[in-house]
Amino acid sequence: MILNKDLKRASPLGRFGGAMSRSIIHMDLDTFFVSVERLIDSRLNGKPILIGGTSDRGVVAACSYEARAFGVHSAMPMRMAKEMCPEAIVIRGNSANYSKHSQDVTEIIREEVPLYEKTSVDEFYIDLTGMDKFFGNYKFASELRQRIMKETGLPISFGLSVNKTVSKVATGEAKPNNQLNIDYGTEKPFLAPLSVRKIPMVGAKTYQTLRNLGVQKIQTIQEMPLEMMTSVFGKNGEVIWRKAQGVDNSPVVQYSERKSISTERTFNKDTIDVEKLRSILIAMAENLAFQLRRGNKLTACLTVKVRYSDFNTHTLQARIPYTAADHIIIPKVKELFEKLYDRRVLVRLIGVRFSHLVGGGYQINLFDDNEEMINLYSAMDKIRQRFGDRAVQRAIGLGVKSIGGMNPFSGEPPALLPNRRR
Amino acid sequence: MKFIVSSTRLLKELQIIGGIIQTTNTLPILDNFLFDLNENELTVSASDLETTMSVTLEVVSDSKGLVAIPARILLDTLKTFPEQPLTFVIDDKLTGVEVSSDYGKYALACLDGSEFPQFPELKDASSVTIPADSLAVAIQKTLFATGNDELRPVMSGVFFQFSSENLTFVATDAHKLVRYKRTDLQSENTAEFIMPKKPLNLLRQSVVVADNVEVSFNNTNACFVYENVVLNCRLIDGRYPNYDAVIPKENPNVLLIDRASLLSSIKRVSIFSNKTTHQIRLKLAGKEVNISAEDLDFSNKAHERLACDYEGEDMEIGFNSRFIIEMLNNLSSDNVRMELSAPNKAGLLIPADNVDDGEDVLMLVMPVMLNS
Repeated sequence: MILNKDLKRASPLGRFGGAMSRSIIHMDLDTFFVSVERLIDSRLNGKPILIGGTSDRGVVAACSYEARAFGVHSAMPMRMAKEMCPEAIVIRGNSANYSKHSQDVTEIIREEVPLYEKTSVDEFYIDLTGMDKFFGNYKFASELRQRIMKETGLPISFGLSVNKTVSKVATGEAKPNNQLNIDYGTEKPFLAPLSVRKIPMVGAKTYQTLRNLGVQKIQTIQEMPLEMMTSVFGKNGEVIWRKAQGVDNSPVVQYSERKSISTERTFNKDTIDVEKLRSILIAMAENLAFQLRRGNKLTACLTVKVRYSDFNTHTLQARIPYTAADHIIIPKVKELFEKLYDRRVLVRLIGVRFSHLVGGGYQINLFDDNEEMINLYSAMDKIRQRFGDRAVQRAIGLGVKSIGGMNPFSGEPPALLPNRRR
Repeated sequence: MKFIVSSTRLLKELQIIGGIIQTTNTLPILDNFLFDLNENELTVSASDLETTMSVTLEVVSDSKGLVAIPARILLDTLKTFPEQPLTFVIDDKLTGVEVSSDYGKYALACLDGSEFPQFPELKDASSVTIPADSLAVAIQKTLFATGNDELRPVMSGVFFQFSSENLTFVATDAHKLVRYKRTDLQSENTAEFIMPKKPLNLLRQSVVVADNVEVSFNNTNACFVYENVVLNCRLIDGRYPNYDAVIPKENPNVLLIDRASLLSSIKRVSIFSNKTTHQIRLKLAGKEVNISAEDLDFSNKAHERLACDYEGEDMEIGFNSRFIIEMLNNLSSDNVRMELSAPNKAGLLIPADNVDDGEDVLMLVMPVMLNS
């Protein structure tokens, strides 16, 4: 009973008073990083390929289907992947290259469709609601896919259905290099035989819990009462349950504002060198502060994160008045770190995050700031804009490599490794 | 003890000092008014430990006594009476107060008045007499510019600077600053102290009825005496920042503009600015000022042009519109002069007319950095 009533209320029809259903496409570039590498070097075709960090701590960011046959999957430690598939070609990868190809695809989608959302470098949601009458949505989507493949040379798959969740699952089923249309009303039977792991949001942990409950197929969740899911998973349980029913009302949002910017660093070897940690933090804070000023943003919340070698992760944050000035941010970050780093244990990772971002310029202070400081910032920022992020910086951060590089406010999603995305 | 008093008169006086009483007090007795009866003279006081204020009024009585009466309940009751005599009777054991009106009787608990915190005595005090209206204007023009930062308590007050040449009042929160100077008033001795916000607010409301205010002060306390009111408060301890050094002396770019039209333009444009930063942009060129704002998050954008009298280089400067609005609201002249030097240096706002003799008003606002 509850089930039926609930479905009715949450039905995608409800939003439009039952007059119209939505059509949402989910598009996903197949093994995107690998495909880009193959475009550059065709000798890679048909061979097992691993992309990711090559050091001991490196993880697999992407792998070709040939490598997957050996049991390799993304987010696996590179060392393990190499053992499983010794003949694989290992490539470090070049995120600037991937971003460029991702933009090419975005450009085509932008030209063709009324509303799209880019959720990562290789994933798009497109809202075609109301176009069926004139174009035929499935035909339109197939033609769009053909055009992307023809013009960019990158294989892409899509799923078409009434909402984002079902479309995303459909894309997963269609892959590799294919397409799938889930007709209106067939969402539930389509999901029923699939593993619960396929529901977006169900990660390793949730999956394990579900399996312990004896739940394997989505059908089992479909038949469960909502209360049972909420008692096990709380609020998330309801969302998962809805998704399992094929219900998802979330809209396609074209542009989402960055809510925070952050940078972090995992060491090749755990360290206890406090001076080194401090200098890395300063370099990170300095670079992020520059990103803020370049994006014409201010922050009001600083967070410092430390992960010890035993994987215990500690964070500490502080609210400050809105600012983008080095001489306020850097001492505060240092202070947070001193407070946070109280265990004399090897450190595996440190990071800095700025949140509560707002657009605007830095309000100059009558007593704390002086003209020289303000002029120095604008001069340094000008140099950086022209000659690159690291053209000028504090001497303490000189020894620190590979920080910065990306502009977080370009409107593009960060070219993150897939294992970090969730 | 027993006394008879006019209901409206008592209410009027209690409302003056009632503002001191906090909603939550550490000492329960501070929720009370202290009634100190000396035959025909009744003195009522209220305190929050930092500030103590008392009023004196005439009553009909032939007894003496000291008692603390709950403030909230007394004020609420008094507000409901039309003008009529009220009789207060307090028994000698201080078990309760009985109030008799034309309508009936009301009993409320009371406390022993001797437990009420004592007025601090002002030792080695010096004093100055200031016309009440000048003090009221000085407070009104400066109070809004004080800060709220708990880490910098000195900026939460108004800086009083007395010398043999003038009396100066300064307030700043590090982003804006107001300096109000009276050259027609002098003090025999040079003195400086920082007055907290709360007593100044109370003073501003009640001082207008008086002619002159006698201000006496030492290193820790200040006392304001006017009409039948005495206000005694603790000063903010600390060194006030050297404000004089941050007021730019060379300001070659001068804008002369109608205050009301500038104010209404900025008010309108700032509706379209970012809701957190309230940032607006002024572009000065030729005989025109361009005021613009935008909020990228919501695609809001506004842009206005105003004719003005501008002499200086073309320039673009950003401000927090709330600061400018507050300042323009607190000026009363028809025209204002805006003096600027560079986009990353303070801008001055000075009234161009309608200034009293001996009055010198200077408002300063720090810009926000614009990225061009």
